Amino acid sequence: MAWIATVFYKYRRLISLILAVALFWLIVLSPGRIRPFIGDISAAALYYPFSELRDYITELNSVTEENRDLRLQVAEASLQLSTQAEAVRENGRLRDFLGFDPPEKFKVVPVKIVSLLQNIYPVAAIINKGSNDSIFVDQPVVNRFGLVGKISEVMPEFATVALLTDPSNPVSGRVAESRQIGIVRFSPENGLYFDNLPADGDFNDGDLIITSGLGGVYPAGLSIAKIDSAAVEKGDILKKIWLTPTVNFFEIDELYVLISEIK
Amino acid sequence: MRIIPYIIYLYLLAFHYTILSDLVSIYGATIDLAVLMVTIVSIYKSEMTAFWFAVAVGIVAGTLRLDLMPWEILFLTGFAVLVNNLSTRVNISSITARILILAGFLIVHQTLVIVLISGESFIYLVYRYILPSTIYSLIPGWIFFLIKDERLTWKEIKAQF
Repeated sequence: MAWIATVFYKYRRLISLILAVALFWLIVLSPGRIRPFIGDISAAALYYPFSELRDYITELNSVTEENRDLRLQVAEASLQLSTQAEAVRENGRLRDFLGFDPPEKFKVVPVKIVSLLQNIYPVAAIINKGSNDSIFVDQPVVNRFGLVGKISEVMPEFATVALLTDPSNPVSGRVAESRQIGIVRFSPENGLYFDNLPADGDFNDGDLIITSGLGGVYPAGLSIAKIDSAAVEKGDILKKIWLTPTVNFFEIDELYVLISEIK
Repeated sequence: MRIIPYIIYLYLLAFHYTILSDLVSIYGATIDLAVLMVTIVSIYKSEMTAFWFAVAVGIVAGTLRLDLMPWEILFLTGFAVLVNNLSTRVNISSITARILILAGFLIVHQTLVIVLISGESFIYLVYRYILPSTIYSLIPGWIFFLIKDERLTWKEIKAQF
């Protein structure tokens, strides 16, 4: 064995040269088999961990970029969704209002609430139309549920609506079934009530109260409230009826001013 | 155990070709780490070590382009033997001499590889890729020689800041 080592050491340059030349010619003469074979071994042994690392980093970068894009898209989509949801709600309200038949000789002007004046209850609303749009004092204001109030002040671009919840804004009403007439008032302590009714009058819970048309401000037949409960104190000659308004004054949004077409 | 550092060099070369070269390239000019490694090993190690290391580097460099593999092996081994013989017969103790050898090796290698793989005109390749890559590769080589000769030490670097 020692002589082999001696020979190898003595002729190491020659042996190395022969081996290298053999390898070179093997690679040159067999490009289809030996070269890919050596390349595969080199790639698997040396390149593989780094190419995996590079692919991982590339994937991570693309995922980060995709994540950023998706976050942007989600923000845009949620914005669009909320806008569309609001449009759907508005559409529903407007569709509901299409079923509202304005009283004869009245036309409907849609308005938006700019500001709502309220303490415990909303008492007045500022709307986005005024005398420039033929809005004048005492015109009735409704929404799709019924009577909301009347115009109390007018400016060229804006107007103020006195709501039914304003204690200084009573309305002449009538029970739709029995045709009994009374005054609908609001008190901050007790809410909406029907006043000046005879103690022996026949009223049932759930009966609808509508505008009577007397007084010349409101046209007849607009929904005001439903009877909640009736009470007569002993010895009273007049009955007081508690009402639930058909309009939720905390949720009013689009309003409609009824403008008389009679000049 | 003596083979382990060379295996680490080969891994470093594979890492350079896979990830690092793209990151450190400037307008297409990259560091020719294969030539840098073979030159350094040829200058400081024995002829046989340089020879077989050059063969291994030729295989690693040729793995990316199999058609160039035999030419990479041939060129790198030939140059490794040449540089090793030069370093034993000629006085290359000065950094300038080593840098000149490295520069010559880099220019020839870059020229062979780029001319073989690119169809552009030679003049364009010289000023667009060959010279920038050669100069770029000389910088780490120069720093290595400075550190190897202890002309650039950690203390000196620290003293600059």
